[in-house]
Amino acid sequence: MEFSERELWTVGHGLVLGTLFLLAFGGGLAGLYSLNARYLTEDGVAERTPRLLVGSLVMAIVAWLTVISGTFVVYPWYRATPPEAIDRTVQSDALGDFPRFWLLASERTAEWHRLGMEWKEHVAWIAPLLATAVAFAVVYYGAQLVRRGEIRRAAIIFFTLAFVAAGVAGLFGAFITKAAPVA
Amino acid sequence: MLDMETKPNGPVAAVFVAAGIGSLVLGIFVVLNEVSPDISKFLKFDESYGIGTGVGPLSGKVVLAVAAFLVSWIVLHLVARGREVNFGRWFALALVLVFAGFALTFPPIFEYIVHLFPAAD
Repeated sequence: MEFSERELWTVGHGLVLGTLFLLAFGGGLAGLYSLNARYLTEDGVAERTPRLLVGSLVMAIVAWLTVISGTFVVYPWYRATPPEAIDRTVQSDALGDFPRFWLLASERTAEWHRLGMEWKEHVAWIAPLLATAVAFAVVYYGAQLVRRGEIRRAAIIFFTLAFVAAGVAGLFGAFITKAAPVA
Repeated sequence: MLDMETKPNGPVAAVFVAAGIGSLVLGIFVVLNEVSPDISKFLKFDESYGIGTGVGPLSGKVVLAVAAFLVSWIVLHLVARGREVNFGRWFALALVLVFAGFALTFPPIFEYIVHLFPAAD
């Protein structure tokens, strides 16, 4: 049992960072939702604030690491161009080393690239922008966020949109990897 | 703690709008990349500036989107720091920008826009 370099990167990009992102999202969202003056005593706010801080910071950092590794390490393997000697119209074993071209070689799989990859490669980058904004709000206000209902609600919306963007990218990434792995 | 004074909301409003600007700029360059071969060539920051290898125009799109986010964050932060702003308005603007960014990255939408430009076909 051994892993190639490409397999390690794709697992790190999709599975390890993806799992961390999900955990941080769950913790951060629960922290934001529950940081409500109606539900909490001063001790409750003090107890929840560090967890919220960690959740939002981890989500932002992981989101950046995921898109950077995906775009600059894994994606070039996906879009690599096959040599002229390889027929780009037949889904051969040789073309299998060039996932983008393999998918486009058949109308049965072409939409995984035209819709899936084309959306995934772009929409994923919205996630770290939104997650960074939320992390900044949490760091800036800290425990004071309990007094800022409108910002807490806005942060929940941005946090959720970041999750949606990452979710679209992650879901298509999983399906595309199943159809045409880069490893 | 629950009845304490809070900091002004300007800096937080600024980063939310900046995130929206970054999202929109990303979407705009997704469309422009399809519309113009010259812009597509310009966006190949991997070839022009060595930012990545084999990434293609995506390298330029994401670098410019992140740059737009950072620059607008700095500018808006300077504008809004120390101020209490109408957060609802700023956040509504941020949401519109983010949704526009989402929409422009969605292939059926950006392909529809691309087809409005005859030269792109």
